[in-house]
Amino acid sequence: MKKIITLEVNGDLHEVAVAVHQTLLEVLRDKLGLTGTKRGCAVGTCGVCTVIIDGKAMLACLLLAVECQGRSITTIEGISSADELHPVQQAFVDQGAIQCGFCTPGIVMTSKALLDKTPRPDDEQIREALAGTFCRCTGHIKIMEAVKTASQYERAEKKSD
Amino acid sequence: MTKRPGRFSVIGTRRPRLDGPLKVTGRSQFTDDIVLPGMLHGKIVRSPIARGRILNIDTARAERLPGVKAVLTHRDAGDFMAGPDLFLLKQEQVNFFGDEVAAVAAIDEDTAAEAAELITVEYEPLPPVLSVQQALTADAPLIHTYQDSNQADEIRMDFGDADKAFREAEHVRTDTFTVHPNHSCYSEHHVVLADYSLPDKLTIWTPIQSSLFIQMNMAFKFGLPVSSIRIMNLNTGGAFCGRGGEKPHHYIAALLSRKAGKPVKIQCTAAEEFLVYRGGGTHTFTLKTGVMQDGTLKAVDTDLLLDCGAYMDTQFIVLRFIGFSQQMLYKLDASRFRGQLVYTNNPPYVFHHGTGMVALRFALGSQLDLIACDLDIDPVELRVKNAVDKNYTTPSKIHYASCGLKECIKKAASKSGWKKKYKKLPPLQGIGIGCGVIRSGGKGMMDHDTSAAVINVGEDGKATLFTGLPDMGQGSHTAMAMIAAETLGILPEDIRVIAGDTDVAPFDMGAIAQRGTFTTGNAVKQASLDARRQIAKAAAAQLGVKPTQLVFNNRSVYAREAPDRTIPFEDAAYSTLHSIEGRYVTGKGFYNPPTQAVDTQTMQGNPALAYSFGAQVAEVEVDPETGIVKLLKMTVAHDVGRAINPLAVEGQLDGQVFSGMGQALFEECIMQDGQTLNPTFLDYRLPRTFEIPEMKHIIVESIDPYGPFGAKEVGQGPIQCTTQAIANAVSNAIGYPLTELPITPERVLAALRQSGEIAILKD
Repeated sequence: MKKIITLEVNGDLHEVAVAVHQTLLEVLRDKLGLTGTKRGCAVGTCGVCTVIIDGKAMLACLLLAVECQGRSITTIEGISSADELHPVQQAFVDQGAIQCGFCTPGIVMTSKALLDKTPRPDDEQIREALAGTFCRCTGHIKIMEAVKTASQYERAEKKSD
Repeated sequence: MTKRPGRFSVIGTRRPRLDGPLKVTGRSQFTDDIVLPGMLHGKIVRSPIARGRILNIDTARAERLPGVKAVLTHRDAGDFMAGPDLFLLKQEQVNFFGDEVAAVAAIDEDTAAEAAELITVEYEPLPPVLSVQQALTADAPLIHTYQDSNQADEIRMDFGDADKAFREAEHVRTDTFTVHPNHSCYSEHHVVLADYSLPDKLTIWTPIQSSLFIQMNMAFKFGLPVSSIRIMNLNTGGAFCGRGGEKPHHYIAALLSRKAGKPVKIQCTAAEEFLVYRGGGTHTFTLKTGVMQDGTLKAVDTDLLLDCGAYMDTQFIVLRFIGFSQQMLYKLDASRFRGQLVYTNNPPYVFHHGTGMVALRFALGSQLDLIACDLDIDPVELRVKNAVDKNYTTPSKIHYASCGLKECIKKAASKSGWKKKYKKLPPLQGIGIGCGVIRSGGKGMMDHDTSAAVINVGEDGKATLFTGLPDMGQGSHTAMAMIAAETLGILPEDIRVIAGDTDVAPFDMGAIAQRGTFTTGNAVKQASLDARRQIAKAAAAQLGVKPTQLVFNNRSVYAREAPDRTIPFEDAAYSTLHSIEGRYVTGKGFYNPPTQAVDTQTMQGNPALAYSFGAQVAEVEVDPETGIVKLLKMTVAHDVGRAINPLAVEGQLDGQVFSGMGQALFEECIMQDGQTLNPTFLDYRLPRTFEIPEMKHIIVESIDPYGPFGAKEVGQGPIQCTTQAIANAVSNAIGYPLTELPITPERVLAALRQSGEIAILKD
C-alpha cells in the first residue's frame, strides 16, 4: 500500500508515492534520482548516507520517508551552486581529504552540520561530530584538517560579504 | 640522494586530486548509482550452516511470486566453476556459512528478498572443520571430497644453506605468532550490475582493482571472446588488495541476466558483506631465527599455517608473497620457508589490506625485538645493522636498484626522538619500530607486467589520457596526469583522464601489486614523449631549431638556447593539427619491466625492477585497568623513489597507518561454529576519529633509476611497518611480548597479568 507524501529536498517540494516501509535513502536515490547520497551499510553503522534535516546531520538509511514530511531536507546536491563549491567541499578538495570518495558526501554533510552550529570547532568537537562516520582510506587525518580549513574559509567568506 | 629542487614544474608539487570536485559533490558514479532501463534486482540464497549436505532445493513458491523474473540453482548453473575448487551454486554440499546455493532476480529489491525467503533448502548438517589444526588431523572430514587432504596448497622455499647458517649462528630463537582473521570493511559494499541481455555481449559494472582479470576470466567461463566482455569500473569504494578478481556474485548476476534477458544488479547488504568476502584467515607462524652475538642475522626459517577457509580463490599467492618477503628486508645468509594453506569450513578468505605480508612483518618484527633484548642491542641499531642496501641481492636473487631503508630507519628514529625515549619512558608508555619492503609491480601473475597508455592532444592544447589503471582512491589518475603534464610541459588540469571502460581503455594489468605509479606511470611517460615528438616537429620548424633542442614547460615551447622566444603549447598543438599535412597528435606507449618471473623450480629470480622501503615508530600508552591501548604518535618514513604528488603520498601513509592500527589493536572477526559473531561495523571494532594518532610524515626519495621520474610505490608498502611498530611499542610499554594480533584489551590484560611475574623487555 503506497502513500503519497510531499518531501522538501534542497528547497524543492517533491510529491512522491512511497511504501510506508521505504527509507528516506531509498526515496532520495531511487525516486528522486539524488544519487549523491550514497548507500553504504544501510543499517546506520557507517554514516555514508548522512543528510541534514532541519539543521541536524541524520542518517537517511534509518529514517522512513513518511517521517520526513514537513521537514527541511538538505542533501549533498543542495549545498553547492552551479559555479562554486561550498566552502566545506572546497576544503575537502584542497586538503586531500578525499580518496575513494564513497564516504565523502556523508562526511561533508556531517561536517557542514557541525560548522553551521559551531563555526570554530576544536579538535575534540570535530572528532565527536565525525565519530559516526567511517572512512577506510584517509584515516580521517586529512578530514580533520579539511574541517578546520572549512571553518577558516567560511569565516573569510563572511568577512568579505 | 640527489635532490634538485625546481627541476620539475609539476612532479613533486602538492596537487588536490583532479576528480575531487566530482567526488565532493556526490557526482562521481559508483556501481549502485547506475540504473539501466528494465533493470532487475538479484538476491542470493546462502547457506545457514557451516557444513552440510543439501537434501532438497524447492524453488516453486519463489517462481510463482509475481515480479520474479529468474530463479537460479545448480540445475541452471550445472558444473559452472567460479574458482578452482568452487562450484558456483551448490548441488550436494555447502562448505561455509554463506555459501551460495540459489539466486533470484525480480523487479525490485523487496520482491527479490521475498523470493529468496521463499526458496526452501533442506540440509543435513555435518560437523564442521573450524581450525587449521583440526583440518590437518588424520580423521578430519575432507572439505572437498574429491581431494586427498584438506591441504589446499603447500609451498617450500629454500634459499642459501639454512642448515649451515643455523650451525654458525651463536644465538637461535624460536617463537610462535598468531594473527586472527579480519575483514576489509569497504565503505562501498560488494555490488555488481551485469547486462547479459543479449547472448554475445556481457557488460559488468563493478568496483574492481583490475578490469583485465575479471574480463579474461568472464570470457573464459562464458565461452565468449574477451572483446565481448566489457568491464565498467567507474569508481571503486575502497579496495585494499581484496578486489583484484571476480567473486561468485559477479557470475551469479551475469547468469541471472542471461536467464531473464535483462540487466541485473546485486547489492550486498550489511548482513551479507561479512559473508561474501573477508580479509585474511588465521595466520600461525613458527619462526626460527639465527643470529650472531653482535646482532648480525644469519638465517630465518618459517613454518606458516594459513587458514584458507572453504575455498582457495587466489590465496596461493599469499603463501608465495610471504615466502619471498621474509628474506627481503634484512641481509641473511639463508632463508627457509614452508607454508601450508589449509581448507576449513570458515568463510573463504582472500587478501586483507597489505596481504599476508603484514602478518609476516608483525611476526618477524616482533621476534627481532626479542632478539634485540636477548643480545642487549637497541632495536633501531639492530635494524640498521642488518638492513639491506642499494645493489644488494637477496638469497632468492631479488635485486635492489634503489633502496632508502637505512635512511627511513634513521630518520624515523631521530624524528621520533627514539634515543631519548627508548627504555626511558614512564611505565605503561612504550615506543616501537617496524620496517617493511614491498615490490612495485613485477611479474609472476603473468609472463608480462604490461601497462599501455594513449594520449591525444587537441587543438586547444588540452590532452586526453586513456588508461586501464583503476583509481580506487589512491590518486593514480591524478598522478598519471601529473606525469603526462610534466612530460608535455602543460598542467595536470589540462589533462582529462579517461579510464574504467575496457571498450576504450588500453591494456593494463591494473592496480595490483603496487604497480600503478611505477608501471603505468612509465607507460604514460612513454605515450607523452611520443605525443611530444609529434608536436615538436611543427614547433621546431616555426622556431627554426632542431626538435631535440626544444623545451616543453609551463604551457609553452621554446629552444633551450633561446628561452625568450616561446610558442604557446596550444599554438604548437594547433599548428600540428591544422598543418597542410593535417596531422593528428596521438601518443602511444607501453611498459613491461625487463625482468622475469621467478623460476618455478628454484623460486629464484628478480620479478620486479623496483622495491620500496619504509620504517615507522609508534608511541603508545596502555591503560592498566581496561587494557586499552592508545596510539599516541606515528613517525612514518617511506622511500617512495620520488614523490610524484606529496599530498597523495601523505594520504596513502595516513590511510595505511590507520588501517594498520586497526589490524594491530582492534580488528578481528570473532568466530564461532564457522559464523562471524560480530558482522557489523558496530560490533566489528575498527578505528574511527577518536583513535586518530599524531602523524609525522617523512618522505624519503631514493630516486629509482627505472621509475618514472624516479618514482616507486606507496601502495601497500607503508602498512607493512605499522602493525609491528605498534605491537613492539605495546610490548615495550608493558614489558611483556605480545604474540597475537589484534592486541585487544583482553590480550593486553592477560599479558599484564603475566608481566607481573616475568619482565622480558624492560629492565
